[in-house]
Amino acid sequence: MRYTVLFVLLLAAGCARAPKKVSEVVAVSAAQLPASPSDAAWDRAPEHVAKMVPQDLVEPRLMTPSTPEVRVRALTDGTEISFRLEWEDATRSDKPGPARMNDACAIQIPEKLDKDLPEPQMGQDGKRVQVTYWRADWQATVDGRGDTIQDLYPNASVDHYPYEAKTLEGGAAAHKEMALRYAPARALGNLRAGPRSQPVEDLIAAGPGTLSPGPSLGAKGRGVYGRQRWSVVISRKLPGGLDVDQRTHVALAVWEGSQHETGARKMRTGWIPLVRRAK
Amino acid sequence: MARVYNWQLGREMSYWYPAARPQRQFAAVFDTNKCIACQTCTLACKTTWTSGKGQEYMLWNNVETKPYGSYPLAYDLKLLEMLNSQQWNGREYAGQTVFESAPAGERVLGWRPEEQDFAYPNVGEDDCAGEVDGGKFLSLPHMNRFFYLARICNHCTYPACLASCPRGSIYKRHEDGIVLVDQGRCRGYQECVKGCPYKKVFFNPLTGTSEKCIACFPKIEQGIQPQCFVNCIGKIRLAGWISRPEQARADNPMDFLVHIKKVALPLFPQFGLEPNVYYIPPIHAPVSFNQQLFGPGAGEAMKVYRNAMNDPDLASLLCLFGSTEMVVPRFRRQGGLAIGSDEKGAEIVRVPMREPVYVRPAFDAKNQLVRINCP
Repeated sequence: MRYTVLFVLLLAAGCARAPKKVSEVVAVSAAQLPASPSDAAWDRAPEHVAKMVPQDLVEPRLMTPSTPEVRVRALTDGTEISFRLEWEDATRSDKPGPARMNDACAIQIPEKLDKDLPEPQMGQDGKRVQVTYWRADWQATVDGRGDTIQDLYPNASVDHYPYEAKTLEGGAAAHKEMALRYAPARALGNLRAGPRSQPVEDLIAAGPGTLSPGPSLGAKGRGVYGRQRWSVVISRKLPGGLDVDQRTHVALAVWEGSQHETGARKMRTGWIPLVRRAK
Repeated sequence: MARVYNWQLGREMSYWYPAARPQRQFAAVFDTNKCIACQTCTLACKTTWTSGKGQEYMLWNNVETKPYGSYPLAYDLKLLEMLNSQQWNGREYAGQTVFESAPAGERVLGWRPEEQDFAYPNVGEDDCAGEVDGGKFLSLPHMNRFFYLARICNHCTYPACLASCPRGSIYKRHEDGIVLVDQGRCRGYQECVKGCPYKKVFFNPLTGTSEKCIACFPKIEQGIQPQCFVNCIGKIRLAGWISRPEQARADNPMDFLVHIKKVALPLFPQFGLEPNVYYIPPIHAPVSFNQQLFGPGAGEAMKVYRNAMNDPDLASLLCLFGSTEMVVPRFRRQGGLAIGSDEKGAEIVRVPMREPVYVRPAFDAKNQLVRINCP
């Protein structure tokens, strides 16, 4: 009897601590959207646990499943919508390099509120999807990691870079121009080529292989790693027409860097209903 | 997958995209017998293109001391092991290419070199090459040194990097067949690094994109050979335009060496990419080793090269290597002269096949001096 009472008490205590789980992602109204994933404001939003499957529809495929699920909560202030994604990850991967992939996650929302949904796998021709993508190495850069090879490989020794030539000293513009000559991705304005002010980027897609920088949705974010888990906040403009009690959909993706997941090699969900509630 | 014709295999093969040969194809012939591994080509490229942040480890051009030298480490051996034993049936490849043996979920059979694989620019270069006290330091299956293999991107007809990229960020230029990574579109997935069997695409950790040899296209567009060609001390390189075998012209240097004389051969044709850098095999290396690297024509090519002194047309063309900064699309021999010209016949360069020889007796009778043998 004594043990039964104890069990019931423990069960009740557990239930009290467990977040409310829902079968859809519910974006609850909040006066202010928290930037930090550990902000208490997230407790107000119910948690949806999304099961993930490997991307195995187009090559290159992910043949070995990794991250089984991602927990997601959402808040909105009526202008922006914020998601907090959390998943277990025993290895922190936030250093780019040869054969080094980075932990990452993304949310995907149809460009238009329409009952006829785009393909969940990156949308389709004529039915585009908006993707907001966060990556761990960008987070490390935003958090203060420098933009030199020594920041990635502390013992690296470099004799000389042309833009450090003494003849260029004192000419900031000349330095910059010379450095860009050897960084073609930056010279072309590839937004992926850093340095970055945000660890997230706005993208748009109309099918696999079409992902491109999208119109700015004011993407912001912050990821924190601890206790073998990533907690990532991703914010963007509230989808147009998503009024209170209106519904759209969201799909999620997670990349496990230590498993060489990148690009199409990822764990993903299908469309999950996303509903906006006043509270 | 589409079916395409690969003349280096003597058969059709599977490829991710349908055949789309360019208007003309950039090509090169490297004479391995003349390379001294001075790495001037490597530095010429490095200084010109890869001296930026994140490019420190990149060698778009490198020279390897074969059999063991390789960059990244064992890039060739690893893929040969993955492909396992494959056979040629005469000049037709009976085995499987990297496209045909792609595992489930992949576009190409490949592997990802890791950081440590880039830590050894040329294994074998500084290793013990002979007897030392107490015996040879190393006991290995091959001789310690066979020859030097200079490598750049092969600007393949069927590039594996291009096939591997799920975003279409890699393209082959219609006007010259040069393969480029679109630095504005690349998202750094490194699929191309994994897919290229020659490992000539490199990931830049600071720009987050992959970069590769561009065949110095700004120079090529002006009819000038790339940096690694014009800076070559040993004059081992010649750039040009290669035709399909059935359209080969005897006055086109690339066609003459590759299709007509068959003295220059592709590197690892069995991979199936139809690479467009061709090598005159080293005549002092074992035939079997050359066959593994350059295909079944290696033995015959070695004979042709050994006989070049009795083949004036071939000998004249070999004299044009390193003779001019310009690309030489046409050549002819006029007596003892090798003459290179543009496509309209306008002369670019002429080179004597034999330099005049002056013999001076060791003892200078007039000045009563013994001459020292120096210039």
